[in-house]
Amino acid sequence: MAEQTRENHTIYSIDAVEYRYEDADALSGINLSIKAGESVVLLGANGSGKSTLLKMLDGLIFPTGGSISVFDAELSEAALKNEGFSGTFRRRVGFVFQNSDAQLFSPTVWDEIAFGPLHMGLPPEEVEKRTEDTLHILGLEHLRKRPPYHLSGGEKKKVALASVLAIGPDVLLFDEPTAGLDPKTESFLIRLIVQLTAAGKTIVTATQDLRLAAQIAGRVIVLGEDHKLAGDGPAAAILGNRKLLLTANLIHDHPHRHDDIEHYHPHSHLKDHHGREND
Amino acid sequence: MAEQISTPAWMNEPGKSDSLSMSAGRSRRESAVQKTIMGMSEAIRESVFSERIAARPGLLQETDPRIKTIGLLGLLIATSFLHTWYIVLAIYGLTLMMAFASRISLGFFIKRVWLFVPIFAGIIALPSLFNIFRPGDPLLTIWEFGGELTLGPWSLGTSLAVTHQGLKGAVLLILRVATSVSLAVLWALTTHWADLLKALRVFLVPRIFVLVLSMTYRYIFLILGLAADMFTARTSRMVGSSSPREDRRFVASSMATLLGKSHVLSEDVYSAMISRGYTGEPVILHRFRTVAGDWLWLVAVILLGVAALGSDRLIG
Amino acid sequence: MHIPDGYLSPQTAGGMWALVIPAWYWAGHRVKSTLSSRQAPLVAIGAAFTFVIMMFNIPLPGGTTGHAVGGTIITIIIGPWAAVIAISVAIVIQAVFFGDGGILAIGANCFNIGFILPITGYFTYKLLARGAAPKSPRRWVAAGIGAWVGLNAAAFLTSVEFGLQGELFNAADGSALYSPYGLATAIPAMMIPHLLIVGAIEAVMTSMIYVFLMKTNASLLENYAGVKAAAAGGFKLKPLIVGILLLLVCTPLGLLATGTAWGEWGTKDISREIGYVPEGMASLAGRWQGLLPDYAFPESEEVAAAGMGGASGEESGGSLVAEENAAESRDPVSFDGMRESTPAYVVSGILGLILVTGVALMAMRMLTGRSRGKEHLG
Repeated sequence: MAEQTRENHTIYSIDAVEYRYEDADALSGINLSIKAGESVVLLGANGSGKSTLLKMLDGLIFPTGGSISVFDAELSEAALKNEGFSGTFRRRVGFVFQNSDAQLFSPTVWDEIAFGPLHMGLPPEEVEKRTEDTLHILGLEHLRKRPPYHLSGGEKKKVALASVLAIGPDVLLFDEPTAGLDPKTESFLIRLIVQLTAAGKTIVTATQDLRLAAQIAGRVIVLGEDHKLAGDGPAAAILGNRKLLLTANLIHDHPHRHDDIEHYHPHSHLKDHHGREND
Repeated sequence: MAEQISTPAWMNEPGKSDSLSMSAGRSRRESAVQKTIMGMSEAIRESVFSERIAARPGLLQETDPRIKTIGLLGLLIATSFLHTWYIVLAIYGLTLMMAFASRISLGFFIKRVWLFVPIFAGIIALPSLFNIFRPGDPLLTIWEFGGELTLGPWSLGTSLAVTHQGLKGAVLLILRVATSVSLAVLWALTTHWADLLKALRVFLVPRIFVLVLSMTYRYIFLILGLAADMFTARTSRMVGSSSPREDRRFVASSMATLLGKSHVLSEDVYSAMISRGYTGEPVILHRFRTVAGDWLWLVAVILLGVAALGSDRLIG
Repeated sequence: MHIPDGYLSPQTAGGMWALVIPAWYWAGHRVKSTLSSRQAPLVAIGAAFTFVIMMFNIPLPGGTTGHAVGGTIITIIIGPWAAVIAISVAIVIQAVFFGDGGILAIGANCFNIGFILPITGYFTYKLLARGAAPKSPRRWVAAGIGAWVGLNAAAFLTSVEFGLQGELFNAADGSALYSPYGLATAIPAMMIPHLLIVGAIEAVMTSMIYVFLMKTNASLLENYAGVKAAAAGGFKLKPLIVGILLLLVCTPLGLLATGTAWGEWGTKDISREIGYVPEGMASLAGRWQGLLPDYAFPESEEVAAAGMGGASGEESGGSLVAEENAAESRDPVSFDGMRESTPAYVVSGILGLILVTGVALMAMRMLTGRSRGKEHLG
């Protein structure tokens, strides 16, 4: 069953999508399709439009040209006004935001995780069960009653993840999941994404972290600084294409030290330390 | 390949041997910026502290939040109707007993209320003691004017005196304010804030208000953090004192920046909410269960409240 | 300006709740129709922001510091209706969690600071900035004046509420039961510093924030115009003012006595005023009785009627007729009148209010012609 979904179904098909914001292109001429069970990484520099594309995949913003379809139906503002469609769509697609503070708006960790199931109309007993299960899976039981502002960055990320997993989505969208995380939480997150992929979930991750891409991606899509597709292919092929990565401004060179020798060579930023991007 | 960033000479110079001496400059009066930072960290400490009290086992902590809200609010309303100072004092005694039973240190509880009372009630009550502000029967004459003293069109009477009525009114006002504050403090200290807000549903407060209240409380701390960071960055960069004028400019510009950040945040939160199925109709789940003890407490409180009102009428 | 508990009689506090609830209802309705599901995060974060900036200390000339409310600038950005709710929410949280302002006084504080302040501030700004170009200095000047007007309107209302306690709620021996000062003391004591200092800080800070936003984040200042344009059906000010005036005039709660006090204030000794009910008021009380024949409590119809007239508490034996001579000799005013009239007073107040609110809402609806807003933003 899982095999069949994995190979055959197209989850998203994106057709000639463009997005203009205040007279500037954020995306233009994007054609893509994403299949069930794929782990796709959207690579792009700051301002390349990868977050914009990710938000479109979650129906939070809508293309100003072209169209997106999901689960064989059109994903549009009008479609999401239909309660039946939006209910199903929101249950099947989950979004983990870069800014955990925006995602954690409830009074306690427990309420946060219960929010999704509760607003999808599940009965209270089921909401309680799911919340408890999710707390257990992510080892967050001891934080149950904590308000979100008393959590560390890593804990916040885990709770944000729990709040999405409690919905039980088939498709998970991650926006810069490792930005600003401590190494321990980062490796936890990478293991989890790998496990979720193995379990047949479809995963789309927007990032500029090449090391993360190498660890989780089956397929890599590169967005250039011109807001167009610059590359699309198996992870190994794309991540080995130095020229492509250089033009997309994903790698560059600057002096750094190996032992006592300062030298130059093309070099990628392994990790983004700069807060959120506003594209 | 990469360009070398050329740094000006002063940036590469090693630090001069200025010693970090305290006497080098005059120590400044606490600036508005520092005051604000202190106020903000105080608010955060306060909330952490009250959550800790709410987590302790005790009488009010273990009472169902809805029952507790009805009971304490009932007492608050009863207090507002009382006209006899010693009956108000009795209710104040009751709050002390409840604080004790809830394992709140009495010293802390009394201090917290009475530090606040003089500012809000004392200063206002003070002038009303005297006959020049409120007429009454003199209790203690301080100064005989020796004839009617007039100040322009106003007559100040023939003497300055503390009046019987003034004293009675001031005592009642101060006791009433202290008792009301005590009841509110008990309510807030012994209840997890999330439960407290959910308990408001008993009073038919619309769900959307409960949601907004809880989100507000949560984001106050985030915005406080942002503001405190801005203010701290400013103090760490400041050399010497800045004029109030510059400070005002800084406060206004940080308010404007904060406003912009808050607005972006609200857009992000909105996305996060609808992504998880929110459609504008909030659903609230609480797991409150009342036990016999809750009802017993409520009945006791209601009886005491009614007794207070009844005896107030008989005496009054 | 946050009134703590203990200063207002339950009658006044209750009356203020009765005024603020329809205001909230109306604001909530407007916000829902313009913002739909976006309202919760926008209002909540607006409220959190308001709370935080109320904590900012502002340096004053001379080395002291003061606080700003920020109500007007918030209103310019999120719109008057969302602001009414946001500021009210901030006030509720201050009262409940931080002991700033009373719990029973939430009704009064929210009406003064959460409703009157943003509404008067915002519409003053709109009026003065009408037709001004986006970068015109007239805009930030208008914002400052709006903030000054809003703050002072709120302070004035607060001082009247305080002053009424001294006028109306005194024990038989003349000692104060709640806030001890009459209108003649409360109004100048509150208004002089607000007109001169507090209002000026508010105005200066609001203008400065406005200027910063003009330079750095001009789109934020246009935010509400965008929201309003997206939702069909503009906003009509007149029906709201009519509604509020109706409420203020007709509410048979202690507030009504404003008329009494204003008529007499300054010309007669305050003590002489006690026990005086103008004829118009008496006839209004009679009419209320006609409308609701069964409300009067058995003890004394007269007392109840007097209570309804608004000048509660101090009537000698509940007499409705002006008794100049009774007041002359500071007679032992009967306290019984108040006690007996209280239940009837409250019941009549609530019934009257429901009626008046219904009429006011209907009137507003007819006046606006009700073009309901769309449910979604573009």
